[in-house]
Amino acid sequence: MNELDSLIGALLHSCSEHVLESMFFTSIWEEADPLAGNGLERVASRLHFHGKPSGDFEVDADPGIARSLTAGFLGIDESEVTPLQEDEVMAEFCNMTCGSALSSLGQVEYFSLEPAAASRPREFLPSVEGVRRAFQLEGGTLSVCLRVDFSG
Amino acid sequence: MALQILIVDDCPAMRAFIRRVLKLSGMDVGNYFEAANGEEALAILAVNPVDAVLTDINMPVMNGEEFVRRMRASELLQETPVVVISTDATLNRIRAMQALGAVGYLQKPFGPEQLRNELDRVLGVCHE
Repeated sequence: MNELDSLIGALLHSCSEHVLESMFFTSIWEEADPLAGNGLERVASRLHFHGKPSGDFEVDADPGIARSLTAGFLGIDESEVTPLQEDEVMAEFCNMTCGSALSSLGQVEYFSLEPAAASRPREFLPSVEGVRRAFQLEGGTLSVCLRVDFSG
Repeated sequence: MALQILIVDDCPAMRAFIRRVLKLSGMDVGNYFEAANGEEALAILAVNPVDAVLTDINMPVMNGEEFVRRMRASELLQETPVVVISTDATLNRIRAMQALGAVGYLQKPFGPEQLRNELDRVLGVCHE
């Protein structure tokens, strides 16, 4: 792993932790196997960003984690959460964590995030090839992946 | 006196979160107005004066940059304080929004205390 990937990995951890604690009122227990969600049912969200640099960001979570994060974000009971709300909130998590990581990455001049697209694969496979980190939360795992391209 | 606040964000979940955080912050908010983009926000502001506007940048139809530009060009709205709430905290973006006329800037993620501090600061500045 090169120096930039190590930095991105550390940023993914700190930014995910900050977003989860500030806006979802939950915390990371420990790092998890980045491949833990592969082949399983997940709630995912992905966005592309352009600027200097450009790239992609992806988040995926166990369905139970998506539900509990949505309930925590909106301040409602898990039984009241709708799939549309889960998609919106996972998209916001994607947006905030990506924006937070890019804002903390020193070499970034400017960027613009495109709207995040939600999906619910029954057998998740990562669609972004980048630096991936997974986290164990209460009740399941969540993973994030960032790909940056400074060449453009 | 209770504040009148306009929240502009294309994501209904984020608007609900901001309402929730304003309540958690203990601020005395009388009315929350909501818009999904700058165009809707201008229509609301034309008939509902507010104490402050909290706006996202990336939105369809009319984004936050154009929205702030139009507010500052309007005699009716140019004094209304605007706080940008965005994931983008690069200096280039913050300076660009300040140059357009935003008086506050809050990076997502944020909590009740940060939102209250920024609104207090902005409303204090504007009332001086």
